Amino acid sequence: MGILDKLNAMAVTRETLLPEGINPFNVVIEEIYSATEGSIDGQRVILAGTNNYLGLTFDPRCIAAAQETLGKEGTGTTGSRMANGTFSGHRALEKELALFYGCNSAIVFSTGFVTNLGVVSTLAGPGDVIVLDADSHASIYDACKMSGAKMIRFRHNNMVDLEKKLGRLGSKSANTLIIVEGIYSMLGDCAPLAEIVALKKKYGAWLMVDEAHSMGVLGERGRGLAEAVGVEQDVDFTVGTFSKSLGSIGGYCVSNHRELDLVRYLSRSYIFTASPSPASISSVRAALKVIGSEPQLRTKLWKNVEQLYQGLKQLGFELGADPSPIVAIRVPTKESALFAWKAILVKGIYVNMVIPPAAPAGLSLLRCSISAAHTSEQIDYILKTFADLKPMMTTAMA
Amino acid sequence: MTIPEYDTVFQQVKTLLQEHAQLQAPIKDDTDLINDLGFDSLKLMEMLEEVEDMFDITYPLNDLSNLQTVKDFVLQIQQIVGSE
Repeated sequence: MGILDKLNAMAVTRETLLPEGINPFNVVIEEIYSATEGSIDGQRVILAGTNNYLGLTFDPRCIAAAQETLGKEGTGTTGSRMANGTFSGHRALEKELALFYGCNSAIVFSTGFVTNLGVVSTLAGPGDVIVLDADSHASIYDACKMSGAKMIRFRHNNMVDLEKKLGRLGSKSANTLIIVEGIYSMLGDCAPLAEIVALKKKYGAWLMVDEAHSMGVLGERGRGLAEAVGVEQDVDFTVGTFSKSLGSIGGYCVSNHRELDLVRYLSRSYIFTASPSPASISSVRAALKVIGSEPQLRTKLWKNVEQLYQGLKQLGFELGADPSPIVAIRVPTKESALFAWKAILVKGIYVNMVIPPAAPAGLSLLRCSISAAHTSEQIDYILKTFADLKPMMTTAMA
Repeated sequence: MTIPEYDTVFQQVKTLLQEHAQLQAPIKDDTDLINDLGFDSLKLMEMLEEVEDMFDITYPLNDLSNLQTVKDFVLQIQQIVGSE
C-alpha cells in the first residue's frame, strides 16, 4: 500500500459527498465588509458562522491599535517566543491577561490550538493521567496524545461517568488533570463546572478549563464559565484563544500556580514556532480593554442569542440544550446538511456545516454562531429564511 | 480482579462488534477491525463506552493505537480487567 492511498480514499469520500458546486469545507470569503457581512461565491451574505462573538474584528479601536503597531514594529516577529519573538507587546499582553483574570501568571502562544498542545503536553507526562470530556476539541485530544500520559475519556458532561473514572484511579488521582471546555464548540452547551469542581476536590485532581468559546461571552467581566459559575479559584489552568471574542489570532494560558511560567522553557509549541505578529498582539490588547470596560457588548450578544435560539425553537428545530452564541441545528443526514447548507447560502446566509467525525455522536449539524454585531433585522432574516427552508432542513436525504 | 476466560470475553466482544461494525465480515481472532470491519477511531471510541459498561472497566485511549485485530481487542480487555 502506498503512502498516498489514504488520500485517494479521501478523494472518493469528497466526490461522493460533494459532487458539484461550492464546497462547504473550502469556502473562500472573497470580500469582507464588516463583522457580519461578506461576499461568498460572488454573493453578499450575512456571516452567521464566524465565532466573532463580540464583533471586535471591525472595532475601530482594535484596528487603530493594530495599524499603529504595524507601522512601528513591522509585519512579523520572525522568531519564537523563546528566541527573538517576544516584543514588549507580548509581555505587556501577558501582564494584562493576568490582571484581567486576577491570576498570578499568563503565557501567550501563537494560536489556541498550539496553546493546548503546549500546555497540556507540558503539564502532563508519562505516569500522569488525563481525564477529558468526550466532546473535547481536536487540539485537546492531540495534546493528550503528545503528553504521553494515560488518556481517559468520560462521556460528555456525564458526572456519573466522570466520578466512576476518577474513583477507579485511587492514589493516581493526585497526578490527574481533568480537562473540560467552558462552551463546547459544536453543540454550544456548557460544562457542569460546579459539579466538576466538586469532583476535582473530592478526588484531589487538577482542573484545566478551555474557555475558547466562553471568554468574552460568559461571566460578569467576560472571563468565562468559571467566572459565571463562581469557581475561578478552583480552576488550576485556564486556556483560551484570541481568535473568537478577541477577534485576532493567538492563544493564552493563565493560572494562579506560579509554576506556569516554567512551561515557557519546556513547551515545544512555545519554543519552536513563531510568535504572534506585533499587530495582532496590539489588536488583542485593545480588544481586552473593550471586553473589560463594555459589558453592554455581552448584553447585546445575549439579546441576539435569545432572538435566534427562541425563534428557531418556536419554528420547531432541534437545537443544542443551552442557548449560547453557538446555535446548532440538528439535521437528519450528512446529505440533508449539505443540501440545506447550499440552499441557505443561496439565500445569502453563511453558516457552518458540521458532519461526523467533526460533530459529536454521529450528528450532522448546521451550526450558527451569533455576534453582538448582528442586527435584529439580520437575525429576523435568518429566521425567516430557515422557516422557508425548514422542510429541506428536516427531511432525511441519503 | 479475576481475569475472565478468553472465550468468554471473545463471545461478548463478538456481539458488540457485530452491532457496531461498518462492514460485514466473519468475526474471528484475526479479523482486522479497520480493514475487515470498517471501524474508524470515532466508531471505536463509541463502542468503547459499551465495553466499559459491559466489563466495568476504564479503557484508556492510548491502548487504541495498539489495536488491530479482534484478538488484540480481547487480550487488551482481559489485561485491563485483570489490572483493575
